[in-house]
Amino acid sequence: MLDLTKGQFVKHVLFHPFEGFEDLRWKKGGSMRIAVVVLCLLFVEQLAYDRMYGFQYSVVYDKVFNIVPYFFRSFILFLTFVVANWAMCTLFDGEGSMKNIFIDTAYSLIPFVASGLIATVLSHIFVEDEYIFISAIEIIGTAWTVVLFLSGMKAVHQFSFGKTLALLLLTVVAMIAILFLLILLLTLFQQVLIFIFSIYTELSYRLRV
Amino acid sequence: MSGLKKLISILSAAAIACSLATMTASAAESYDPYSYDRWGDAVASQAGYTADYFVDGTTIGCGAFNEPGDFFITEDNQFYIADKGNNRIVVTDLDFNLIEILTEFDYNGEKLELKAPAGVFVDKYTDNLYICDTDNSRVIKCDRDGNVDRLFEKPKSELYSQELTYNPQKVLVDKAGNVYVVVKSVTKGAVMYNADGDFLGFYGANRVEATAEVIMNAFWNTISTQAQREHSTKTTPIGFTNFDLDDDGFIYTVTDSQEIKTDAVKKLSPKGTNILETLGATDVVFGDIDPAYYSIYTKNSSLTDIDIGPNGEMNILDFAHGRVFQYDKLANLMFIVGGTGEQLGTFRNATSVESYDNHLYVLDSRKNSITVFTRTTFGEIVTEATNLYNDGYYEESYEPWCEVLKYDGNYRRAYIGIGNALFQREEYKEAMKYYKISISRARYSKAFEGYRNEFLEKYFSLLLVLVVLLIVLIVVYRKAKKRGVFDRKRAKRRM
Repeated sequence: MLDLTKGQFVKHVLFHPFEGFEDLRWKKGGSMRIAVVVLCLLFVEQLAYDRMYGFQYSVVYDKVFNIVPYFFRSFILFLTFVVANWAMCTLFDGEGSMKNIFIDTAYSLIPFVASGLIATVLSHIFVEDEYIFISAIEIIGTAWTVVLFLSGMKAVHQFSFGKTLALLLLTVVAMIAILFLLILLLTLFQQVLIFIFSIYTELSYRLRV
Repeated sequence: MSGLKKLISILSAAAIACSLATMTASAAESYDPYSYDRWGDAVASQAGYTADYFVDGTTIGCGAFNEPGDFFITEDNQFYIADKGNNRIVVTDLDFNLIEILTEFDYNGEKLELKAPAGVFVDKYTDNLYICDTDNSRVIKCDRDGNVDRLFEKPKSELYSQELTYNPQKVLVDKAGNVYVVVKSVTKGAVMYNADGDFLGFYGANRVEATAEVIMNAFWNTISTQAQREHSTKTTPIGFTNFDLDDDGFIYTVTDSQEIKTDAVKKLSPKGTNILETLGATDVVFGDIDPAYYSIYTKNSSLTDIDIGPNGEMNILDFAHGRVFQYDKLANLMFIVGGTGEQLGTFRNATSVESYDNHLYVLDSRKNSITVFTRTTFGEIVTEATNLYNDGYYEESYEPWCEVLKYDGNYRRAYIGIGNALFQREEYKEAMKYYKISISRARYSKAFEGYRNEFLEKYFSLLLVLVVLLIVLIVVYRKAKKRGVFDRKRAKRRM
């Protein structure tokens, strides 16, 4: 039973939100490669949704462009979540490994990414009055992702539903802590770099005299 | 000379020529003309008006002005200048030839003298002269020869709190003969009299801007007792500073405030509500959008005077920056004229603005002079295009808008105007292009709808064939798959 390839497992998980992740877990059907592709697509989707949306719906201030926010919203947020979730759930007897959390989270994001990309394409076909079609697609995609995400978290750690919710909350707290520390680290390194650079300048002036 | 070299030399020559052309175009003004784009960022623009010359009291021949407060152009083209510091009204014609100087007024045999007159107005319907005799706390109504008909003094009414001083600043009279007086110490709107001098009430009060403090006060007032409420701070609106009448008899007001943007400029309905808001100009910021930042302080626009031009355009004077902002009748920014400084076309204390035909007149109470601006060629074209556009002649406005773009590629309204003309011609694809440049989202959506319908009409049969083909292919593929045509093992076995 259920001897699916890794690619077929993606479809199975998507259309069986409640037992799909359990099957994935027992059959070890998750593929890291597909998960990374989904993560990259998430980045593309964030970019496309913000900058390439139909002009009849959204006007973007295009005098400046900065890629860092998009990078943050996809890769950094995702990786922080995976690390924070693993760290918190391991403490509370969660069974998921870092790799499995990565895969389950990425798989559950597929409807969100797909709906975002489809909506971006459709926004070039529909006009302002027909926005309801696009918004319906976006809502369905997001809701689907939420269901998949909750069931994925539940399956990967073998938690009860209540415990899953509680630990997701804790994960958010841990994420904030991690990001805070990262920013702190970044600024401190900046200080060190400035210090080294000023020593270099000082020395170079002295040598010149 | 190789082809590439030739091309480069031609291009660089063209670039130099272009830069020279722009240099000469902007060198005429003593300030850099600018405008605001869709995002509210200041962008370089062409001058819509150019400063021609200035006159002061000596050139007019009446002796130097002393802090002139207000002036007015009558229907028969005469200037009435309220020379506040010299307690007189100077009358000249449009070329500033002195006609007369009014200092004494005859009130049933009694001689009246002015004391710091701050405002002057001539009613075009009855040809009466109204003067705000500020320090004498009265408004004088007289004929053009100085025979006083009536005085408007502090209203003896319960509505008018008697401890307030009566210091009239500006006056105007509407079609019905009602007299409106802006009194500095009154914040409830203009004091309104009927033609017989009876006090009617207040007209056109500003609203209170909902700042955090105001909301907090409102909250405390709902839970405090009557006694507590009497001691709390009252939230009062800021009274408007100046007003003007347009040809249809509507009153426009401006409010001079550094902090508050609510009701800065209003076009009042007879009921006292703001018509500009129903015209869709709710989120227009009048004056400079960003304050000017100096090393130790910032300076916001403070709007001190408004004048309605012949086509309903609003000329709004910004005292803080010495600029005149000209808006069309739908509150779209057309030009920004002037600046602060000592050169011709800049001001120290600009107090009043008037317009006649294609001229703007700005009175400066520190320089004691009147500066005369004349519309440039660019200004003429923009005005022509705007008038055609605002009257709904989109098609006719196409040519002038194209001309505008030759002068100023930053002029956003030109792109909208061209887009609208193209939209009316049903050239949707071109219209989309112009709407996109001008960043008009809703209009773009309309044009896109037209373009899409056109596209569908043209290719509908082709699309239909394609869809049917696709469905057939899918069905065939599925059936073939079921039968195992693509199954490798079975295919091998057959061999």
